[in-house]
Amino acid sequence: MKFSPALTELIEALRCLPGVGPKSAQRMCLHLLERDREGASSLAHALQQAVERVDHCRRCRNFTELDICEICADTRRDHSVICVVETPADVLAVEQSGSYRGLYFVLMGHLSPIDGIGPAEIGLDRFQERVVEEGVAEVILATNPTVEGEATAYYLTDMLLPRGVKVSRIAHGVPLGGELEYVDGSTLAHAFSGRRAVEQ
Amino acid sequence: MHVNLQPAYLLHARAYRDSSQLLEVFSAEHGRLGLVAKGVHRRARGGSLSATLQPFRPLLLSFAGRGDLMKLLAVEAAGAGVVLRGERLFSGLYLNELLMRLLHRHDPLPTLFAHYGETLAALAGEGPAEGVLRGFELRLLDELGYAFDPARDVHAGQVREQAWYRYSEGQGLVACEGDAGIPDGRFRGEDLLAIAAGDFSGSAAAAAKHLLRRVIAEHLDGKPLHTRELFRQYRQGGSGA
Repeated sequence: MKFSPALTELIEALRCLPGVGPKSAQRMCLHLLERDREGASSLAHALQQAVERVDHCRRCRNFTELDICEICADTRRDHSVICVVETPADVLAVEQSGSYRGLYFVLMGHLSPIDGIGPAEIGLDRFQERVVEEGVAEVILATNPTVEGEATAYYLTDMLLPRGVKVSRIAHGVPLGGELEYVDGSTLAHAFSGRRAVEQ
Repeated sequence: MHVNLQPAYLLHARAYRDSSQLLEVFSAEHGRLGLVAKGVHRRARGGSLSATLQPFRPLLLSFAGRGDLMKLLAVEAAGAGVVLRGERLFSGLYLNELLMRLLHRHDPLPTLFAHYGETLAALAGEGPAEGVLRGFELRLLDELGYAFDPARDVHAGQVREQAWYRYSEGQGLVACEGDAGIPDGRFRGEDLLAIAAGDFSGSAAAAAKHLLRRVIAEHLDGKPLHTRELFRQYRQGGSGA
């Protein structure tokens, strides 16, 4: 048996989602049409809206339907500190920690030469302009502690230091609730080299 | 195929599904391999697989499966590995890109594997990086069967110190007369002999860089190396441009 053209098209379209193969796509498609027509039309509407309206914030490159996102427009936040992160999910993670009140810059990736992602693709030229224009006092590099994340952090450091901007890198070490025994050697080495004197 | 504790280096990892990764590794006895690593980001008692699965670190990988993409079963660190900082990180990424682009899958190159480890250690040291990279490039060409001898011209004759040569694609070094030929693409015999002797200092450094760039480009199907472009942009940014 073959599905009708509209069904086949929907199944094909669903496959653009990460981790969705032909079988899952078929299951989703049949569920939406058989059990949840209302959900299907609201999904269609939401998708349409998001695709049409959501764009990158002009200042931090995070997703937003406004010209400048809520965080960047918030006057109660500290506008002299910018935290550089790799993805919008990282912004959410830092926001949920409630420990940071400055602004962000979202790279939407990291330098990854093997994948062909260079400084321009992650908006570093625009970031440099922004830092100079806004007279930012400190840039916190919160890229991931992976080889690519470190390369990105180094590239940024080299770009910003000659412009008199204070650059700092987030600490890495043993996670809360972790056990030293299970932490890998290089994380432990980082934890030791970045140790702090205990203050009274 | 089931392989246990195979010495290997991670060349590149790509995110796959929620917490998995597609890895490209360079192993001692099986050459370049593609592996699927499941649950890399899953945390257990303060540690996860992704902390160990990093480039430039000697690993012991156990994997099984057939075909081009095998399944990673276990990872152990085989040593502390080297810490590349700053510019050296870009050099390390350059090595990895070269291996990704030039090695064929399942082509065992144990000598090159050992040399890769030594090259990483040398990069982590204090000495100049350029010579280390050139040495690796020559070795890589040699191991791939594209051996290139800078001391021999296209007719297999000895390169003469005072003569000028240009690199002709697919042929080799061709002697060129006087000022003829392209001004930038010419190499002095003296420098070529120094490169052949493994001496990458002075004017031989620039000559080696340009010469090997031409030779390697021949094997890259006309697509440029991204790390080289990154390096170029980095240098431009550093000079305040």
